[in-house]
Amino acid sequence: MKIYPYCAMALNHLANHYFFTGEHFLVEQLMEAALAATDNPVLKSHSFYNLARSYHAKSDYDAAAVYYRASVKELKSPKDFILPFFGLGQVQLKLNDLKSALSNFEKVMEVQPDNCECLKALGHIYAQQGHNDKALDSFKKSTRINPHDAEAWVEIGELLVSTDISGALDAFKMALNILRKSPEKITVELLNNIGVLHFERSEYELAQQAFKEALGEGVWMDLDSIILKSLDMDGFAGFANDITSNDCFYRLEEQGVALDLPAGKVTILFNQARLYEQTHELEKAAFLYKLILYKCPDYVDACLRMAAIAQASNNMDACMEMINEALRVDEKNIDALSFRGNVELKADDWLKAKETFKAVQQITDGKDAYSVLALGNWNYYAAGRGEKRDAKLEATHLEKARELFYKVLSQNPNNMYAANGIGMILAEKGQFDMAKEIFTQVQEAAAGNITVEIPDVWVNLAHVYLGLGQFGLAVKMYQNCLKKFYHNTDSQIFLYLARTYYEAEQWQDCKCSLLRAIHLAPSNYMLRFDAAIAMQKFSTATLQKAKRTADEVRQSVSELKNALRLFSLLSGMTGHHSHGFDGKKVEMHVEYCKHLLEAAKVHLEAAEREEQQTKQKQEVARKHAMAEEAKRKAEEERKIEMERRKQEEEIRRVLEEQENFERLKEAWRIKNREKFQVDENEEEGGTDKKKDKKKRKREKKQKGQREQEVEEGNFAHESSDDENVIAENPFAAAGLEDSDDEAAANGMDADDTSKAKKSRKRQAMSDSEEEEEAPTARSDSDKGLDEAMGEAFGGSDGDIGESRAPEMYSSDRSNDDEGRKKTAFESDSD
Amino acid sequence: MKLASLKTVANAHNDSIWAVTWAPATEARGALLITGSLDESVKVWKGDELEQDGMHTGHSLGVVAVAAHPAGSIAASTSLDSFVRIFDVDSNATIAVLETSPSEAWLMQFNPKGSVLAVAGGGSASVKLWNTSTWRLDASLSVLKADTSVKGAEKTSGKFVLTTAWSIDGELLACSTMDGTVGIFDVSRGKLIHYLEGHNMPVRSLVFSPVDPCILFTASDDKHVRMYDAKNTGLVCAMSGHGGKVHSVDASPDGGALATGASDRTVRLWDLSMRASVQTITDHADQVWGVAFRPPGGEGVRAGRLATVSDDKSINLYDYS
Repeated sequence: MKIYPYCAMALNHLANHYFFTGEHFLVEQLMEAALAATDNPVLKSHSFYNLARSYHAKSDYDAAAVYYRASVKELKSPKDFILPFFGLGQVQLKLNDLKSALSNFEKVMEVQPDNCECLKALGHIYAQQGHNDKALDSFKKSTRINPHDAEAWVEIGELLVSTDISGALDAFKMALNILRKSPEKITVELLNNIGVLHFERSEYELAQQAFKEALGEGVWMDLDSIILKSLDMDGFAGFANDITSNDCFYRLEEQGVALDLPAGKVTILFNQARLYEQTHELEKAAFLYKLILYKCPDYVDACLRMAAIAQASNNMDACMEMINEALRVDEKNIDALSFRGNVELKADDWLKAKETFKAVQQITDGKDAYSVLALGNWNYYAAGRGEKRDAKLEATHLEKARELFYKVLSQNPNNMYAANGIGMILAEKGQFDMAKEIFTQVQEAAAGNITVEIPDVWVNLAHVYLGLGQFGLAVKMYQNCLKKFYHNTDSQIFLYLARTYYEAEQWQDCKCSLLRAIHLAPSNYMLRFDAAIAMQKFSTATLQKAKRTADEVRQSVSELKNALRLFSLLSGMTGHHSHGFDGKKVEMHVEYCKHLLEAAKVHLEAAEREEQQTKQKQEVARKHAMAEEAKRKAEEERKIEMERRKQEEEIRRVLEEQENFERLKEAWRIKNREKFQVDENEEEGGTDKKKDKKKRKREKKQKGQREQEVEEGNFAHESSDDENVIAENPFAAAGLEDSDDEAAANGMDADDTSKAKKSRKRQAMSDSEEEEEAPTARSDSDKGLDEAMGEAFGGSDGDIGESRAPEMYSSDRSNDDEGRKKTAFESDSD
Repeated sequence: MKLASLKTVANAHNDSIWAVTWAPATEARGALLITGSLDESVKVWKGDELEQDGMHTGHSLGVVAVAAHPAGSIAASTSLDSFVRIFDVDSNATIAVLETSPSEAWLMQFNPKGSVLAVAGGGSASVKLWNTSTWRLDASLSVLKADTSVKGAEKTSGKFVLTTAWSIDGELLACSTMDGTVGIFDVSRGKLIHYLEGHNMPVRSLVFSPVDPCILFTASDDKHVRMYDAKNTGLVCAMSGHGGKVHSVDASPDGGALATGASDRTVRLWDLSMRASVQTITDHADQVWGVAFRPPGGEGVRAGRLATVSDDKSINLYDYS
């Protein structure tokens, strides 16, 4: 430099040096000198670039942009010197001039297609412009070139979160593995995101691990013992009961337990609490929510989750208290308001609920799908409500509901709940085929999405099958729904199931479903009424059958007695209990059952006689066959015996001869004993054998005798049996005569039944109208969970908080009960 | 503290099994297992092999509850038909049939002395006490507070009495209802002492600690198991973990553990010193309606046994150690 102070190239290199040592004022001086010293555009460009970079480093983006631009201007082709383009792109990105930044980065890409930094920058821009696919491509390309760039993996993960949970999870895990091997710190956000994704995939243990790592040290490390400790202090553990009190935290602090909660970890702790909720460890969840509220009283989501926990255990006072607490913090919180509306609806506080939802509408300018849906449902319920049905009012309510559902659908065509609502309206209007189509689609969509559960659509679909008379399908649908969503514990769906069996005239299945329902909800007397009717129907049906066994008749009589007992109880109760059924009708059932029981007596006698007859006939036939068989056997055995005796005779003769021979031999041997001592051994063996044979003979003889005895015994029995048969015959004859009477009795009943059938048909028609009420009940569209889920993922500050928890929207079935109950089983007695 | 599977009887009944209890050992035999089912029968099983030893019939509409007399030879069963049938466990002979109004009998328990059978009175909003020597109704304890000004239907709605339990000293009687009310009676005075707060959903099972006459355990549809000090109305702790309604709870004879059965098809074992679930068993294929620890006693019976029954028609037997 001292030799020739005006060499621009050297000045540039020097400036480069000072840039990296951070002496920016020197860079500026040198560059001014360099620019003055040369006319070479490339060198000038370098000088401008150095200047720009210096300003860039000082975060003076406007100045940097000016010089970058100057640098670019000097160049004929980006190939000569690419760096200023990249710099300019970065600065423009900072200044939020996405378009220009994009074009500059694209120029860089043309020259250096493998520039990872540039690819990532492009990815960012695409993502910000909403071109997720292009963004994803850029990041993926960058990870292909440099797979050890954790940042790029994190970006990929965040881009995938909304569309591909497992892809996102894989990307996050890649990033995590890279970071674990490097000295860089693993960010809490990354761990949180991994945890949330595992949570979404129901991999609770993995989620737990991730949250644990993200949370690090703190009171939450050993919740079991902390909770136990606070219990032992209080002797009282009502976290769920005693929601607002912070006493236990004060006392824990007094005991020196640190309750620090760094601001960055609140979200993770909240997620951890959600996880505990999901694994049903409600004490731990409640403790954490309370801890969050103790530290950050404004954390509305924690408030609402506490409310949801309270609601789940039906502690409505505490639930409302928590919701109001949330509203005190933020009176325009949509989630809290929606929750309140829902609770009010459940408490049958219709007007308040409507007002609350309308308030939500006002706050959100009508854009909040949930409140629109809720209002739609409100109108739907309103249509089916009320003791007196006003057709006109009903129609307007339905129309209003339809409008609201369509409104949501037009805003978000994928909203399953709105579609479900439309299906309900169609079913209500009797357009079952279209309703079926819609429900089926919704059900399929819901089945393909692990984060959504809409049991209501299953029930609705089943209702439609029932309406279409496809009982088998309806039954299957109800059963699957019960099993899948309710652990087989929902007495209401058992009632629906029973109703389907009733329509299908499967009385025993009907009764069985009802008994299960009663077992689950013993205080619901309507179920008992229905069960009694099922039994009455069963009896009537069996007694009408042309052919039935005495057992069947006996069973039907006992069922009838049970039915009568139930009806008499219910008729006694209607006086002072209002269980929703008509006292007069019950009386009528009582009378009818009594009458039927009388009739059944005749049936029973007849059937029993018949049974006896057939029994006798069978008996006679059986005995006859037995006698024949015995005779034949005896004959055979006699023959065998004869042959055996013959054989024995022969054997005996042979043996006797042998014996004679032996005796002769012995005599001879004794004579010669002294001579043949050696033979003795042999001889003894021989006698042994002889003895053996004798024994066997004796045994055979005994056997023969025994067999004979047995045969004789059999004959004796037979003869006595014969006597019996003769004795019974007169009875059989009497039974035959009586069968005429029975026929007469049948005729009488036939009248009854035809009448019954007619009335049943009528009832069926009216039923099918009201039947739709059932979907009403179910229609209750749980609000867009999908939506809630979408919101929940705030990318890196991801928050599981389904702020609008599924719990909040669990359907309200209680309302439809009344309507349905009334129609549940109209009997044919009237 | 552990449960190990010993034996499973599949299709032990023709339909859902809803009730289970152990008849204590007598001089002549070991303890017997008694089960009741929707198929309207009550069956008696013996030994670790669970061989069927007898069957008691006569009920209609499904057996809801079975209870055994502490002496071991007598048992009671109720069904949805609201008859209580008392029978001899060994001979299956019917000893008495107690008729109640329909829907006015649900679960039941003999007192520790065996002199009284307490039957949850369902819709009558009371607990019925039957004298076990005469089989007559001795007393009826109402779960309603005497001074309530509300009347009629209002008063009894939600107060369907589901189950009842005796404290180990026989002085306290607890009962629970559909709305989650748990009432405690002083038996000698025949008076309702107080309610235990906390549940707002049906409480389907109650059991007193076999070692502490004050400690009561409750199982509710709200998925919680709670531990109360029944004398002093205090909630000692609440335990959660089940994913569904908790249908049944029983305390181990040593007082150290609880077993619960729930609609989520699982049976859980809880360590009371840790107040936490230590084992979850997923052997049943449908909701678990009953869990019962075998009472101690009998020849050579030291090992603990737990029997569980379910809607899946099976009985499972576990070794508890």
